[in-house]
Amino acid sequence: MSKFAFNSISEAFTMQSLNGQNHGLYVWSVLAIVFFTLLITFLVYKYKLKKISKKIK
Amino acid sequence: MIKKFIHQFASPKTYLFQVTRAYPYIFVISILIYIISIFWGLFLTPEDFVQGNSYRIIYLHVPASFISQALYGGMAIASAIFLIWKVKLSAYLVKSIAPIGAMTTFIALISGSIWGIPTWGTWWAWDARIVSTLILFIMYLGLISLHDSFANYEKADKFLAVLVLVGSVNIPIIKMSVEWWSTLHQSASITISDKPTIDPSMLYPLFGSMIGFTGIVVCLVILSSKLHIFVREKNKSWIKDYV
Repeated sequence: MSKFAFNSISEAFTMQSLNGQNHGLYVWSVLAIVFFTLLITFLVYKYKLKKISKKIK
Repeated sequence: MIKKFIHQFASPKTYLFQVTRAYPYIFVISILIYIISIFWGLFLTPEDFVQGNSYRIIYLHVPASFISQALYGGMAIASAIFLIWKVKLSAYLVKSIAPIGAMTTFIALISGSIWGIPTWGTWWAWDARIVSTLILFIMYLGLISLHDSFANYEKADKFLAVLVLVGSVNIPIIKMSVEWWSTLHQSASITISDKPTIDPSMLYPLFGSMIGFTGIVVCLVILSSKLHIFVREKNKSWIKDYV
């Protein structure tokens, strides 16, 4: 667990594999999609709850 | 006796007070576990010999796929409880879980498609696992639209519960699709009966990401159910006191 899989930040960014292909684009885009989907869902529910709470009050 | 127990602990009021108290703890712990596991999976695990670094998508894809099916299972159980014991909270939960289920299935489909490009050479194939997951996504959207199309909430709850139970036949199909048919999608790396086929150095962060993601989704279900309870119980005096 303690050893980094990459030697530099640029290597971690491109995620070049043993076969020479760069997989960073795929991995980072999935991470971004997951992050933003979760963030937007949280924000939408927080906003809707705030709105309805005001109405009930 | 079971009926009495359920009615005592499953009133929307009791539920709302309990989950509001638990929410911050679940949220903080889940986020921490998820961030640590994702960091571990993306930077500290070794490269896969066959798939290269693209396999790291597993830490984002598998938790979403697992949860999308588990949420439907939860909806099916809640539907059965609602239809058998007429527990109002169960009907609220069925409606509240559906959008979160659609969101997690969306993540599973998108992440799977992106993972497919470097691994299979295509982002889409009419493969049993992928198609059955797409059906799950369409089912979630259909269930949300169905409930919203009714003006009468009680009628909508009943229809929704029955349809969820009918649709639950898709869950074992998704699970077994890789065994029953010849598919592009690999078979399960983790099963209850056999030893995992994945190396422990890659397995532990996967477990962590699954636990963390589950906690995050539980938080979203809490928010969604809170919203639905507010909508349905807005005229009750206790809800005014709560808000």
